[in-house]
Formats: sequence, structure tokens, C-alpha cells
Amino acid sequence: MKKRELNISVFYVGTSLLSPLREAERAINRAYDLNLRVAAYNFGAPLAEDDWLEAVRDLSRADVVFVIHVMDGENASRLLIELENQKRQPSAVIVINCMPDLMRRTRMGRLDFAQLFGSVRARDAAERRSRGLAARVGAWMGEQARSSAKKRRSGSHTQYLKLVDRLPSLLRLVPSAGKLGDIKHYLYLFCYFLQPTPANITSMLLYALKHYVTDERLKVEIKLSQPETVPSVAIYHPDAPAMFESFAAYRKWYAHRLTKKDSKPLLPEETVGLLLMRPQIVSGAHRHYDRLIRALEAEGLSVVPVLSTLMDNREACERYFVEEEKEAKGKKQSALPRRARVSQIVSLTGFSFVGGPAMNDSEAAARYLSELNVPLRSVVSLDTQTIETWRESGTGLNPVQAGMQVAIPELDGATEPFVFGGIPRGGAEPVPLEERCERLARRLRRWNRLQRAERSEIRLASVIYCFPPNKGNLGTAAELEVFESAWEMLKRLDGEGYSVEVPGSADELRAKLLQGNSESFGAAANIAYSMSVEEYLKLCPYVEEIEKEWGAAPGEINSFGGQLLIQGAHFGNVFIGVQPSFGYEGDPMRLLMAESGAPHHGFMAFYTYLEKIFRADALLHVGTHGAMEFMPGKQVGLSSSCWPDRLTGELPNIYIYSVNNPSEGTIAKRRSYAELISYLTPPIESAGLYKDLSALKELLNAYRRTQDEDERAELYASIEQIAGGLNL
Amino acid sequence: MTGKDRDARVLALYEQVLEIEERLIPTGLHVFGRVDEERARVDMLRMVASFDRPEKGVRALTDLVAEGLGFKDYSALLRARAGDEDALREREEVDALVRRAVELFVQEGTEAAARLLETNARVSAEDTRSTFHLLERVCAELKKNQEMESLLRALRGQYIEPGPGADIVQNPLILPTGRNIHAVNPYMVPSEVATTRAEATAENLLERHLREHGRYPRAMALVLWGLDNIKTEGEGVAQALWLLGVRPLRDSLNRATEIEVIPLEELKRPRIDVVMTVSGIFRDLFGATIVLLDKAVRRVAALDEPVEMNFVRRHVLEQMSADGSFDEAAVRVFSNAPGNYGTNVNFMVMDSQWETAEALGDLFVTRKCFAYGRDSKGRAFEGREARLCMDRALSRVEATYQNIDSFEIGITDVDHYFEYLGGVSKAVEKRAQARPAIYVGDNLSRSSCVRSLEETVQLETRTKTLNPKWYEGMLKHGFRGVAEIESHVTNTFGWSATADAVDDWIYAEVAKTFVLDEAMLERLCQLNPHSARSLVGRLLEAEGRGFWKAEKEMLERLREIFSDLEDQLEGVA
Repeated sequence: MKKRELNISVFYVGTSLLSPLREAERAINRAYDLNLRVAAYNFGAPLAEDDWLEAVRDLSRADVVFVIHVMDGENASRLLIELENQKRQPSAVIVINCMPDLMRRTRMGRLDFAQLFGSVRARDAAERRSRGLAARVGAWMGEQARSSAKKRRSGSHTQYLKLVDRLPSLLRLVPSAGKLGDIKHYLYLFCYFLQPTPANITSMLLYALKHYVTDERLKVEIKLSQPETVPSVAIYHPDAPAMFESFAAYRKWYAHRLTKKDSKPLLPEETVGLLLMRPQIVSGAHRHYDRLIRALEAEGLSVVPVLSTLMDNREACERYFVEEEKEAKGKKQSALPRRARVSQIVSLTGFSFVGGPAMNDSEAAARYLSELNVPLRSVVSLDTQTIETWRESGTGLNPVQAGMQVAIPELDGATEPFVFGGIPRGGAEPVPLEERCERLARRLRRWNRLQRAERSEIRLASVIYCFPPNKGNLGTAAELEVFESAWEMLKRLDGEGYSVEVPGSADELRAKLLQGNSESFGAAANIAYSMSVEEYLKLCPYVEEIEKEWGAAPGEINSFGGQLLIQGAHFGNVFIGVQPSFGYEGDPMRLLMAESGAPHHGFMAFYTYLEKIFRADALLHVGTHGAMEFMPGKQVGLSSSCWPDRLTGELPNIYIYSVNNPSEGTIAKRRSYAELISYLTPPIESAGLYKDLSALKELLNAYRRTQDEDERAELYASIEQIAGGLNL
Repeated sequence: MTGKDRDARVLALYEQVLEIEERLIPTGLHVFGRVDEERARVDMLRMVASFDRPEKGVRALTDLVAEGLGFKDYSALLRARAGDEDALREREEVDALVRRAVELFVQEGTEAAARLLETNARVSAEDTRSTFHLLERVCAELKKNQEMESLLRALRGQYIEPGPGADIVQNPLILPTGRNIHAVNPYMVPSEVATTRAEATAENLLERHLREHGRYPRAMALVLWGLDNIKTEGEGVAQALWLLGVRPLRDSLNRATEIEVIPLEELKRPRIDVVMTVSGIFRDLFGATIVLLDKAVRRVAALDEPVEMNFVRRHVLEQMSADGSFDEAAVRVFSNAPGNYGTNVNFMVMDSQWETAEALGDLFVTRKCFAYGRDSKGRAFEGREARLCMDRALSRVEATYQNIDSFEIGITDVDHYFEYLGGVSKAVEKRAQARPAIYVGDNLSRSSCVRSLEETVQLETRTKTLNPKWYEGMLKHGFRGVAEIESHVTNTFGWSATADAVDDWIYAEVAKTFVLDEAMLERLCQLNPHSARSLVGRLLEAEGRGFWKAEKEMLERLREIFSDLEDQLEGVA
């Protein structure tokens, strides 16, 4: 006998659903002897035409359609049109957590969606109750979809998840038949979806088939289990047998784990707090999370990975990242300093800290994080493009991800926009990018060293510029007096306990850099170190690639007598280096190339020196702006083959930047992982008048004042004379 | 010359002098972490107080005073140029009163200043409170500086608060500095305010072009940067849309992802074809916006409208009939190859590596001919090399345009304006076989204003390079100050190289001010002989390349000085 053919189309956003959907498809076909096909499309970014045509073909055959989390204008409007145009309407269109226009397209039996979430008067208690439930769910979905809402009740997420926990038992009281049946069905489907465990997603599909596909056998045979529940907020660890709802339990387990596995206890100063997407954990699609967690632990850092309270992460942070306030009688609460249990927070959600996917309240985020004084890192999982497209792309992240998952978290002060995992082509769940996870973990360990090490041991590599490269331009930076500024910094660092040799004045500092031994090398600045080619080859793994573009090392720029020259001078534990130029000088052929492939040897050697020979703990770029962050590579979401990633290496990068240049500053932030520290622009004044301009103005005013024609004629002659002299 | 003509000339000169006098300029350089007690505040505060900031309930003092005195609104006074003596007098009265009020505010505080305006302009203290409150906040923030503290905190791996980036006048919320500045959410661009302001600027531009050339430009090349579009929330983007005759539409999430076509009856002018050359930075920061711009061009090109009212369609049809598809013909957004930035025109100019002027325009196209957008099947093309498309698009261009948005970053302050606006203009010159009209949009002032490039070069030179207030401010910083002066001269030279936009007198005045004045030359050489030599060398290069017809004596003197400087520096070595 031919198996019954059924089609379900799912349009969704994110990476947590695909794997449970595939599993559900298999499980259902096996259990009910069906030929069910689940066609799923990630609507996270606008679909290309070929994919779209396929989606439309699937839609035309669909018995049931799910639309989940779709907020994108373009996909949504195309889908709306297609849904309207279907000759053969599906038995049910189930829309969850989408933009309002799509929500209104929900079609389930006699369900009128406007009525469901509206305020139509209920006629009896049962209806009132079910409408009440629906209204609460609807209000929450509305909040998710609204982008401009500024005020939001805090705690709404937890309350809402509590409601969801209770919903199944409440729903039992609602009659399944009659006009309330469809409302009940919608809410049931919603419950399954919200805890997207593989079992729940299977149930969600079965539920829709049972109630909306005309098939007597299925109606009878399909048996549904109640929705599984998962704690709404919890700590997750890949090694733990279960999730922890209390921090104390997690701490205990972590310590116990120490004795067995030689791990570390949870010391706040070396613990990283991670914010994870709840659906990924619930649906089991978390291999990329696990890998990053293990990479951090391999670097000697401890972790507290928690389920993000998506709409407002302050809830999760408050619960797990902050010590509970001790009961201190007689003292005011605010007098107690709140102590963080973590020293860095890494958001793996790719969304704003307060506000979730559709909006952002960056003021609230900044206020909260300032008070806690723990830095926020926001890293990216490739959710709307595959790992392969990212790898092959010269651009890196697509516009949707660059906007949502990088530009918006930046408003919260987030740094380190690393891509750590994503969906491989044809894959059903995200996988880690091993090398990126490890690189990120090492960078976070370096940041951690800055937090913990004795200041006298910290070694700083500050970088200044010389553009265009000639002696007169040493210390180039927009609106900044670099030598005075650097001197002020050295004095202050010295006062704070860093090991610094402070020159007597800014002029002395400049002289040390500008003159020194520069003449004997024919260089623009003092040479702090000569690197042999042998050493360069040993320390730098990228030489071969550079040679393809620039020939054999050491090349002609920043080199002398077969050695690579590092320009700069040491001031105790602070090195002030002069960044090499792009290398266009006297090389018209290179200038003419549409694309450049690599920095020159001297440039690479400079950053190699800072990380591997000077052994800097951090980079400090001084002023707007250098060339390093403009070196070839992806624009955002760098890979290990991007030059700024290679040049920055593992070093934290602090970048003093003109407050008036957020655009180029953002390039530094994204491509060289810089934390920007803005500096003020110089005083501004009216230009005023000088030389003959003042005289001219007086004459002009005299002319305007008098009505006497002779006087005017006379004045006019003088006016033209002066104006002529001024070329006006 | 009739009396009336003479009066008009006098007023025009007066306006020009006023424009120079009032323009804000940076006076010196900042030292990291340092509070500048000497900071002259009145001019800057006056400017801060001259903008409406509805989001903070702040009204411009100029507007309040103009109202109080019973004049036309202040923007109208600003617009009424061209010989309206009454409007000019009223404007001066408003400006003088506002200046006195701000001076009083600095000396005695809000109350005295508010009282002055109450007495002399019948503006209630109630109305000016929030404005003075804003000024108080700006002053308080400028009396401290947390940059060094932030640096130390960053070095301890602590959280650095985010903050917007702009200058103080544009956005006083940039204070305090020492914060982690950020860009904007690209989906918010262009904002409503930006759209409103852009319409005014674009109309202004078209009017001027119509007046001077007798018809609308059929195609324009716009330079779009991240710098101004972040700070103005996309005025440049909105200008492009307005020229095309479309408006941005927001989706249900309030994101600008769609466009709406303005009917021709409403637009009352043809749709202008726009070629957008966007910086690598704009490309990176505004990916979603590029999709929007590309969509707008395609939509307009496909409209069923008479070609004399829709220049985009006209050009696309022309090209399709010759050869090629709609997709090829409708490409209008160009930037660098992925992962690359800049035109290199600046490097070529500064390093004197070009022979014919054409080379600069060709280099611009080589670097910028990578197309971004989506084809008619919705497939993204991320930086497809499209040299032929760009050549063709530029060959139709009659005007080029770019915005400047900040007092500190003007067209002679950095090399990037001449590499972009100059570069694209030079590229057009060869491909269209005519030099385009080159415009600069000035969004610094209250009323947006469009100037020709030549006017802008003159204004910048007069208010900065040749202005003792500016160069003495720079020379306070010694070595770096001389480098700044030299860099302004080189950037001015860049406008000769790319756009022939620098008059002889400018070079002559630069020579007189910095080289032929012996005391000045001595100072420059003391402070930074390398930059002093570069400056003289640049003047000689300008003459040598025919950008400057120097008087013979002057030229000889410069040559002598240059060889003396060479000798001295060689001697040092």
C-alpha cells in the first residue's frame, strides 16, 4: 500500500529548529508509516531567487505551514503574497512570534486571529479563561515583535516562561471542541514550540497533523504526550548530567568536578560568564557552545554558562553572575557593593543585551554593565548563512548578521566580534569553528591576565603613526598632539605602578623616537630592534603568503643590511613603536592594483615583534588612525586568513580614538578587535577676521550705514580695492 | 555700474566676509586626558545653542530670539541672502543678542543670560531653560576629563561604557569622552530627520545646478561615507533616494528596508540618475543600506514613465538597447573590492607618482569599480568587478557631490575628500569628456547649504590655512603643528591635482605667509625642518605641474629657499 504523502513547510529563523525538525520527520514516518516531508527554510536573510522558487513549490504542496520568528521585511512580504496566492490553501497556517502582518495570516479552523488577541467580549467563563491566556501570550509575542518599545516590565520573560510551564495544565480545562478548540490548539502548539526539545517538536508536528489534516486514521492513532518542560533559567554545562537551577548547586558540582578531573574552582577573577540561547540548549543544537566552553577551560579559565533570558539578560546576570546580597541589617541595600561572580561576560546570543532580537535598550545595558563593571564580549554564530558562504565570502558576515549581531551589540559596549560557529552547508545544526574558538579563548585569557597581573609586570606595546612616511610626520593622528599625549600616559602609568621610564619632557620623548640611531639606518625613527630574516621566518607563520606578493624577506621597506627594522623606543615596560606604512612609496605599480593581498614584511615583522619578542600583554594604538585595521580580509567576522586577525594576534587592543570619527573607529573595533577610548576634539572658535578682512568689513558697514551717494561711491572704490587684494 | 548693482555687490561681499568670520574652526590639537582651561567656549556654545534638539526639548536660541523680536523665523532669515538688507540686519540683531546672552551665560550663569533674553527679546526664561541647561552640562563636562581614567580601566580589563561619536555641536552627548564610541544600527538609516534635511539639501543643489546650467543634471555621482552618514543618521543616503524620487519605507520592525516611489506629479521634476561611489567603510557599516539603495535604483529604472522625466530609466534603456541586460545596466552602487579600502588617489598624489591627470581618475575607477547589490533574481553580488558598468555610468555624469559634516574634518584637513570627490570628478571628466560641476554639501550650519568645490576650497583656505588664528593655534604644538600646516597645503594641492579647483592666489598667499615671511620660515624650520621642506617642495611641485602660475621672482625665491633647506637637512645627516 502506498504510504500517505503529507507535506509540512516551516519558515523559521535561527539554527535551533532544523535538527529537531529532521528528527521529528524521521520519527513520525517511522511511527505512523507515513511519507511525511518537512521542508524547512531559514528566513534569517533574504532568500535568493532559486531558493525562493523552491520554497514556493513546497508551499504549494503544503498541508500544514509553520511560520516562526520571521521578522525580516522582505521575506515576510514575499511570503504574505504567496500565502494569499495559493490556489490550494493549506489545512492550517500556524504563525508564531512573527511580525504583526504575518501573525494575522494564521489560519486554523475557525480561528480568527484578530479576535484571538483582541479584546472581544467573552460570553462565558471558559471562553473568558482561554481568551485571557491567549491575550497574555499574544501580549508577549507583541513585545517580541515591537522594535520601538522603550519601557518594558522587567521580569516579563521569567513570568512568561512560568505561564508557559502552567499552560498545559490550564489548557486541560478548555474544551477541545467547538469554537474554543482552535484557540486551545494554537496554545498547545505554542507550548510545544517554546520548549523545542526534539520530543516537543515531534509533538508539535503531530498535533497539527492530528487536528488539521483530514485523515481519520491519524486522528485516532496519533497519541500526544504533554509538553516536556525545561527550566526557564538555568546553568548549563556540557559535562554536567543536568542543568542547575541554583548557582550554589553548580558551584558545588564544579568543585566536585575539580577533585576528579583536575579542573578549577569558581574564582570570580578567572571565571567567564556565558549567555547561551535557550532554544539551542533545549533542542540539543549546542555543539558550538560546548566547544567554546571547553576551549575557555583549556586556557585555565572557569565558566558559568547560563541560559540567556533573551529579552533582558539582566535577569540571567542578576541570578547567576552576581553574588546575592548578604542580609545586612541596618545597612542600606545600595551601600553594599555588588560583587560579580564573573570577570568577563560573553554573549553567544548575537543579540542586544537588553531588548532581544527586535529592539535594543542600550542605555539600560550600559547602565547595568557599568555598575557591574564587567566587560561584555559578543560573539557570532552563523545563523543566517552557512560556514561555507562565510568562508568563501570576501565580505564575511552578510548584512543581516552584520547589522543584528554586530552593530547592535556594539551599542551596548560589546567587543571581540568573533565568529565561533555556524551551520555547515546542508547541515542541520551548528558546529564549532575550532580554530576561532581557540583563538577567542586565548584572547579572553589575555584579557584576564590584564585584569589580574601585577601592574609592574604588564608590558604595553603602544603604536604611533607616521603618515605619509617621512620624518616630519612622526606622530600623525587626527586632532591629537601625540607626543604630549604619550608623555602624559607614561607619567600616569608610572604613577599607577607600571614599570615605566619616563622621559623628562614630551620633547625628549619625541627626540628619542625621532633621532636616536635613526640616521645610521637611514630610517625615519629610532630602531629599537633588528630582526634577522631567520628569526622572522621562525616566528611568523605567514611569510610564504607575503612573499607571493612582496618577494623574499626582508624586502625593501623597513629593512637594512638584510635585517628587518622595528622602529620605536623602549620606556621600561612600555614600548612606543612606529607603525610601518602601507608600503606604496615609490611603487606606482602597487598603487595601481585593485586589490592588495598582504601587508609587507616590515609591517608583519613589526606586529610579530610586539607579540613574540617584546611579549606585550596588550596593544595600545595611539590616535586616529593607523593602517593595520585596513589590511585585506573580511569586513567583519574575520577568519584566520584575514590579515588584521593575524596582525592583532592574541593581544587585547586598546585604541585611543577621536570622538568625531565613529566610522573608521568601528572598522578598528571589528577588524582589529579594538576597544576604543574616545578623545575630545580640539577647541573650536569662530574663524574671525584677519589682516585686510577686518578693514573690509568696516568699510562695508560704513557703506551700509550711510545714505550719502558721494560717500558711498568713495567707500565703494576703497572696498573694491581691498576686496581685489583679498581675491574676493 | 548702477547704484543698485553696487549695493548688491556690497551686500554680497558682506555676506562673504560674514561667512568667513562666523565659521567655526578647530584651534590647535588635543592632549589626551587634559582639561583645556583656556578653552574658549562662547563660539562653540553659541553654535550648540543654535540647533533645535527636539528629542531633548531644546529649542535653538536663535529661533526663540527671532520669534521674540517679531521677525520671520530664523531659518528664513538665513535663507534670505542675495541682497536683502532688511533680513540681513534682522539676522545680525538676532546673532548679536544670542552672542551677548551666551557671553553672559559663561560669565554669570543661566539666570543672567535668561534675564537678558527676557528683557531684550521677550523670550520667557521658561523657554530657554532647557537650552541653557544643555550648555551647563556641556561646560561641566568640559571642566573634567576622564580619558586617562578610562584608559587605565581598559588596561585593567574593565567595562568601558559605549558612547556616540560626533563633534560637540552635532551631538553634545559625546561628552564625557573616554568612552567606547560606536556606529549606528544600519536599519535605522535614514532617519526621518535625515530625510527631511536631505530633501532641502537636494532641492537646493538641483536649484543651483538648474540656475547655472539651464537644466537638471541627468546623472550625478555621489560620494557616500560612513563618517557623515553615522552622525547625520543617513542624510547622504536620504539625498540619494530623494534625487531618485523615492522615499524610504519602514517595515513593521521600524527598519528602513523598503522604498516608496514618489509620483512624478508630486515630485515635479525628473528623477536624477545617481551613481553612488561608497567608501569601503560605508560598505562595511551599511550593508543593509546598500541593499536599499540598489533596490531603489532598480525600482526607479523599471517604472513605466517618460524617459525625459526618468533619467535612470532613460540611461538603463539606452544601455540595454546597445547591449547587456537590465542587471548590468542598472548597477549604480560601487565600492572597493571586498576587504579593500580607499582609492589610493591620495597616496598617488602625496607621493607625486602620477604623470597625466587622467591617471588619477583611472586609478579611482580601478579601485572603486566593484559593484554591490542584488541581481533581479535576488542573488547578492558582493563586490563583483564591473569596470565597464562604472565607466558607462560615470560617462553620463554631469555633477558630483559629497557632504561634509564637521568643523574639524573639512576638505583640506584630511586627504580623503580629494581622493574621493576629486577622484570621482577626475574619472568623470575623462569619461563624460567634460568636467562635471562639483558640489560640496555643508551640513555644519543651521541651514544646509551647497557650495561649489571652488568656493569651499577658498572658504577652507581663508578660515584655516591662511588664518593666523588657525596656524598659530597649530604652531603652539610645535613639531606636530608644522606637520599639520604642511598637510593642509598638500591636501589643497590635492584639489588642484584632481579637480583644478585651486586659484593661483591661494598658492601665492601660502608662499607669502609661510615661506617668504622670513621670521615665519625660521620658526617652521626650527620646529620641524622636514615638514617645512615638504611644504616648500609642494609649492614648487604645484608650479611645476602647472597648477599655479607663480610670479617669476617669487618662484626663484622659493627655489633658493628649497635648496637651502635641502642643504641644511643633508648637513644634519
